[in-house]
Amino acid sequence: MRRVLEGSHAVSHAVDLARVQVISAYPITPQTHIVELLAELVADGVLDARYVRVESEHSAMAAVIGAASAGARTFTASSSHGLALMHEMLHWAAGARLPIVMAEVNRALGPGWNIWADQTDSLSQRDTGWMQVYCEDVQEVLDSILIAYRLAESVSLPMMVVLDAFFLSHTYEPVDVPSQDAVDTFLPPWNPPEVLDPANPKAFNQLAGPDYYMEFRYKMQQAMEEALRLYPVVDDEYRALFGRSYPMLEVLPAREGERAPLALVTTGSVTGTARVAQQELRERGVSFDLVKLRLFRPFPQDEVRRALVPYERVAILDRNLSFGYGGIFAQEIRSALAAGGKGGRAPAVYPFVAGLGGRDITPATIAAVVERAGGGGPPGDILWVDVRE
Amino acid sequence: MSPVSLRGASELPLCSRSADTMLWNRTGSWRFLRPRYQDKTAPCSEACPAGEDVARVQLLAGQGAFEEAWVRIREENPFPGVCGRVCYHPCEGSCNRGEYDAPVSVSSLERFLADHARRRGAAPPPLEAPSTGRRVAVVGAGPAGLTAAWFLRRWGHEVELFDAREEPGGLLRYAIPEYRLPTDVLGWETAMVLADGVRFHPGRTLGEDLAWDDLAGHDAVFLALGHWTPAPLGVEGEDLARDGLALLEAVRRGNTPAVRGPVAVVGGGNTALDVARTLLRLGAEPTVYYRRRLEDMPALPDEKEELREEGIPIRTLLAPRGIAARKGGGLRLALSTMAVLEGEEGGRPRVVPSGHPDVLADVEAVYAAIGARPSPGLPAGASDLGGWSPVGVHLRKVMPRGEWASRPPVFVGGDLVNDRKAVVTAIASGKEAAIAIDSLLRGRDSAEAWPAIRVGRKGAVSLNRFSGGDRTLRQDHVVRYEELNTTYFQYLERRERPRITLEERRTGFDQVRMRIAASMALKEAERCFHCGLCDHCDNCYLFCPDVSVLRDLRAGSREIDYGYCKGCGVCVVECPRNAMVLEEEPR
Repeated sequence: MRRVLEGSHAVSHAVDLARVQVISAYPITPQTHIVELLAELVADGVLDARYVRVESEHSAMAAVIGAASAGARTFTASSSHGLALMHEMLHWAAGARLPIVMAEVNRALGPGWNIWADQTDSLSQRDTGWMQVYCEDVQEVLDSILIAYRLAESVSLPMMVVLDAFFLSHTYEPVDVPSQDAVDTFLPPWNPPEVLDPANPKAFNQLAGPDYYMEFRYKMQQAMEEALRLYPVVDDEYRALFGRSYPMLEVLPAREGERAPLALVTTGSVTGTARVAQQELRERGVSFDLVKLRLFRPFPQDEVRRALVPYERVAILDRNLSFGYGGIFAQEIRSALAAGGKGGRAPAVYPFVAGLGGRDITPATIAAVVERAGGGGPPGDILWVDVRE
Repeated sequence: MSPVSLRGASELPLCSRSADTMLWNRTGSWRFLRPRYQDKTAPCSEACPAGEDVARVQLLAGQGAFEEAWVRIREENPFPGVCGRVCYHPCEGSCNRGEYDAPVSVSSLERFLADHARRRGAAPPPLEAPSTGRRVAVVGAGPAGLTAAWFLRRWGHEVELFDAREEPGGLLRYAIPEYRLPTDVLGWETAMVLADGVRFHPGRTLGEDLAWDDLAGHDAVFLALGHWTPAPLGVEGEDLARDGLALLEAVRRGNTPAVRGPVAVVGGGNTALDVARTLLRLGAEPTVYYRRRLEDMPALPDEKEELREEGIPIRTLLAPRGIAARKGGGLRLALSTMAVLEGEEGGRPRVVPSGHPDVLADVEAVYAAIGARPSPGLPAGASDLGGWSPVGVHLRKVMPRGEWASRPPVFVGGDLVNDRKAVVTAIASGKEAAIAIDSLLRGRDSAEAWPAIRVGRKGAVSLNRFSGGDRTLRQDHVVRYEELNTTYFQYLERRERPRITLEERRTGFDQVRMRIAASMALKEAERCFHCGLCDHCDNCYLFCPDVSVLRDLRAGSREIDYGYCKGCGVCVVECPRNAMVLEEEPR
């Protein structure tokens, strides 16, 4: 069914369609609309789930960890400081191998207090063992929630679906809401490999000394690798059922069948803006290929390498910053490209940092970036966009 | 740690977990603090002069165990039907819930439980104590005498109960008006006292047709004659005034005087207000005159409120100065205007004539109700407190000197000794008399009994404790509001007793406060915090991270499994009502 939905509500409806059994969350702008609607759906009896109110995000994550340990399909949502407060529990959820799904609305961290879009919050959780996808539009947000459950439960790892504050969370777009029957086909009930069972009491997540710990971590890495293998399979199934596909990385050439000398890598809603800029610039005779990166963890190194090595130049637009280094996507992509292609040739990488704390990234911004990545001169470690030095 | 025999990661589960139960790991050995269930004393019980187990009663009432709750009250007080109507309920004044929203309406619940028991034809358990063969004379069948008679008889003593009037009840029967305490309610409760075999001798006035020699054959005497002698107004024309107490008694006896037109009632206590409200119901137009201010009146706030509702004016800072007959009938009451003497601490303020002109009131009658003095009949030489030594908080004993040395021991209680002259303090007096006399007759020193049977520190005693009942297990500590975990309570409106219409109140003696429905009683009982009393809410059970709270649902008991309890104290912190304690582990 076609509906005009706010991004946040697209998440809520997807959670409803996924027949989630336990929800626990603590409100924080710009995430609050997601759990507000879920609370209504539960209270109205539309969604047959337990909604657990808590006093903090740390407890919200602890609550869904408990519920998932008992075999329930669980959901939470957070943002920025809330996500940061969850940090300890994020490690726990992944280590306990619980397929919790979270909607993470990208928002800047304070101080200075800022509620606007910025990816540093979710990227700071890079090493927690959570899978992460970054969404371009509201339809993709809804679909990603369903895909996330399927993938998370397949490999027993939690997954974050990341969407930009306001640009996605508070924007209404026409969305195709799948039927419950189709979703049930795509996403059968979770069959947990192990659950808390009072009849057969055991201690879970207990001490694992040096003799065992490393093997458990090895298994987590194996699960991440398995997720990389499974991703296209799940995506194909999704396309077969719903007619939409979301590759982990997608090359959008300026001209079909050609490769421009410059590839611009974007994530999140900026990709949508870049599509417009690509078209406008092409009309003015400037061509660049757009590369939409969606999957961040597990990181699709092979796909990144395969897609980007052939380019002369690669520009990366980061709406985030690792202080003392630079943009985080740029860092990952450079690392993937380090070995280079045949003969060791690697493209020149232009690492741009733009739009922190919700500053607009417009088609004009992207045009400027493309111009600056036009060659000539060695690129720096960090290229600031629109900053008043 | 087990030796490494792992061949590969595939042998491992997804995450670390035990292969089997962990019951072998007796984590109780880690503990250095020990939680323990410990019931404590609720402030309402401490404040109640009769030491009623209010929190337990509320708990039972909230469970719908109405008869059990009623029996529980009667362990300490044989008059819940009376007290549920006329008590000044200090329990509510000290209720911890008062600091949260509003006190629990304990008095409504008490009345409900008595009314319910009466409708159901409930009766106290049969008398079981073997006869001791000892004889006790109780003189005065008011609340103090009846209470002493009830408990002494329950414990197997022979009791002779004397009273100057025809029916038992004293002031309850002959002074408190029908609209506050219906005769049938009182009759039901006094009949229970007599049903046990207390021999009641009506129409025997001490010093007239009841001589000390008549009491000589008893092993102990309890004097509770009350205060029935009206205090004089002490003004010119005083003999033109009528006695308010006599009016109340006449109306209780069914003799309703014809009074019409404006009448003055002088006084500010419950009796004055009862007189005014009675006069209103008889068709007169009463006005209350009081020498101090409204806030200084000793009458109960409920009484003042109901008087105000009934439209009876109160004129304050007016003291009677003289009464004169008017030509052509009627009286003229002259009143001095008074002023409060500022700057005095404590008690009611002193008032002095203000110097302003007198106020004159032309009335058909003046009723004096400014207090009462001891009833006649007290033996000379023993009628002043100097001749009486304190035994309990509400009890004295006639010093065995002179002619008293050869007589049976005489205890004095009720209004004769109480500073606060109220029904419940009279009942407290009767309880103390029963304890003192029982101890005496069994050759024990009652002074040794008091410390173990006190409820808190305000003087109340518990007969449940005196008889070795379950309240002996309760710790004396009185639970304060700050010691509760109010997170687990929610705001709930206090339910007041509905009242009959003002029209009905102005024209008849029907009970003002209406019957309480069981549904309302349940809701009100639910408001009780049960301070210091485990009510099996199971917070301890739910919060214990070590599954170390063991429940026996059939027995309704909880205990801590010290084999595994690590002593984290979560149970104690999350106990809403301070019915647990965390102590250092004994070494």
